[in-house]
Amino acid sequence: MAESAPEGQVVCRYCRTTHPPAGSSCPRCGAALDIRASVSRSGWIEQPPIRDLARIQFGASRVQIEGTQLPVADFTLVGDEWIYFSHHVLLWLEPSVRITNTALAGAWNRMLSGMPLVMLEARGPGHVALSDNHAGELIAIPLMPGQQVWTREHRFLTATGNVSYTWEQTGVWYVTGSGDDRETHYPLGQFGDLFLARRTPGLLLLHSPGNTFLRDLGPGETVLVQPSALLYRDVTVSTHLHLEYPSGTQGLSWRSSFSQRHVWLRLIGPGRVAVSSVFRHSGSEAITNNSPATVQRW
Amino acid sequence: MERIECQWCRLQNDPGTASCLACGAPLDGRAVVTDSGWREAPRLRDMTEFRFAGSVVQVEGELVPVAEIALGHGDAVYFEHHLLLWKDEATPVAAMPTQGGIRRILGGMPFVLTMAYGPGRVAFSRDSPGELVVLPLHPGMELDVREHAFLLASHTIGYSFVRVQGLANVLHGGNGMYLDRFVTTSAPGLLVLHGYGDVFERSLGPGEKIMVEPGGFLYKDASVTMQAVQLPVRTGLLRRGMYLAEITGPGRVGIQSMYVHHHAE
Repeated sequence: MAESAPEGQVVCRYCRTTHPPAGSSCPRCGAALDIRASVSRSGWIEQPPIRDLARIQFGASRVQIEGTQLPVADFTLVGDEWIYFSHHVLLWLEPSVRITNTALAGAWNRMLSGMPLVMLEARGPGHVALSDNHAGELIAIPLMPGQQVWTREHRFLTATGNVSYTWEQTGVWYVTGSGDDRETHYPLGQFGDLFLARRTPGLLLLHSPGNTFLRDLGPGETVLVQPSALLYRDVTVSTHLHLEYPSGTQGLSWRSSFSQRHVWLRLIGPGRVAVSSVFRHSGSEAITNNSPATVQRW
Repeated sequence: MERIECQWCRLQNDPGTASCLACGAPLDGRAVVTDSGWREAPRLRDMTEFRFAGSVVQVEGELVPVAEIALGHGDAVYFEHHLLLWKDEATPVAAMPTQGGIRRILGGMPFVLTMAYGPGRVAFSRDSPGELVVLPLHPGMELDVREHAFLLASHTIGYSFVRVQGLANVLHGGNGMYLDRFVTTSAPGLLVLHGYGDVFERSLGPGEKIMVEPGGFLYKDASVTMQAVQLPVRTGLLRRGMYLAEITGPGRVGIQSMYVHHHAE
């Protein structure tokens, strides 16, 4: 999706913000600018890992990305600027940084689905550093006023204080088994996170457990992805379950509960989507009930 | 010609050398220091070699690196037995008992280490992505290391352990009940750690403090003190307290970016 920039400015291919052409990395998302874009034949853009020690500016503060295998986001918070995050990603902080916490609504549901119940807020001045606990990449998403993105649960690392946070049911589920063996699966997670920059630009950092690929879907354009691979999407992209049954799978197993099927997430444009190369396979139990879905039997 | 000083271990290397003879750090770049003053442990390049006494260590791989050692005659290294990846059939090994056996078992620590003797080849790795942290120790140094982070040490380094003092530190410090202590007396030695994720080091001045997630702590000079400190926040449905390790200088402290989270056991 081509975007034009004001004279003397360039548009970052990855975060789409404009900035002066100088420098080796985008000052808003940290993406390397001095390399050729890597685009697959099908249109997926490979998000380049943020280089070691790249700096990303937000407000009067900045964050420096440190390391390559399991990178650390080291914030220099200026004045009263603040960020929020789940307590388990806090790696270190200077004593001058003030830490407070806020409880989130829906505690019982969030606890049942393994989501954090409390967010910590870190206020400047001073340094505070965060890291997820899995190998992968950090993805920086600058949010312009009014811009909102949906992210998969457990991918959130931190956001600046001017980005509002809420969450919603994904509405993507299926059921296997019956009686005592009945189990409801949420291949996309039970909840998704929504982040919105209201009046001023904000910054959202995600952790991607693998390599990250972006794609811009046109209006009505669709693509099937592994549900657990979805990292984030524009809120203009709609999603639902898609079940696919390959032909010639009868008699492959003596178990009546076995089903050779593919569980997909169907993404429908317009908008941007991002997937991670690390995902979880959805098993092979027969599906007895499911959320609204399209079905393909080959 | 001017010799090249290693930015990691400070050894003076011969001109034209690509990596440090004592620790394997690349010599063709400047030390990587973050805005907040942390120095990144050097990523050892695949197949880098370095030496101690009459032995040669080669680092293989970059995601879960292997340390392969060609032990010279009279040299030996000790390690936890489960870290052995492979060895030459003829390389002798022997048990190396440690003090405090039953207490170490209760603390989940090995109470018998294994010693491999030269001449012969032997290789080690831990089973998680990370990097090797090579610490050549000069005579008279004392270094404390979190449990289960040590990969190998040369036989000239004395090994003991220090019990973490104070119930709050044991319960909330995130480092278990013990820290491994490595001490050199009159001879230098080589200590190799496995850091999970990326590893950073910082030198704290006298009285300078930094608050670290306890699971992120990797090593420190014995002169550095560590105390579990409760933050004024509550987490989880049960509104449990959250603790960080308050680390106070003077001395070096090393941290890792992948860690076991110990916020409020």
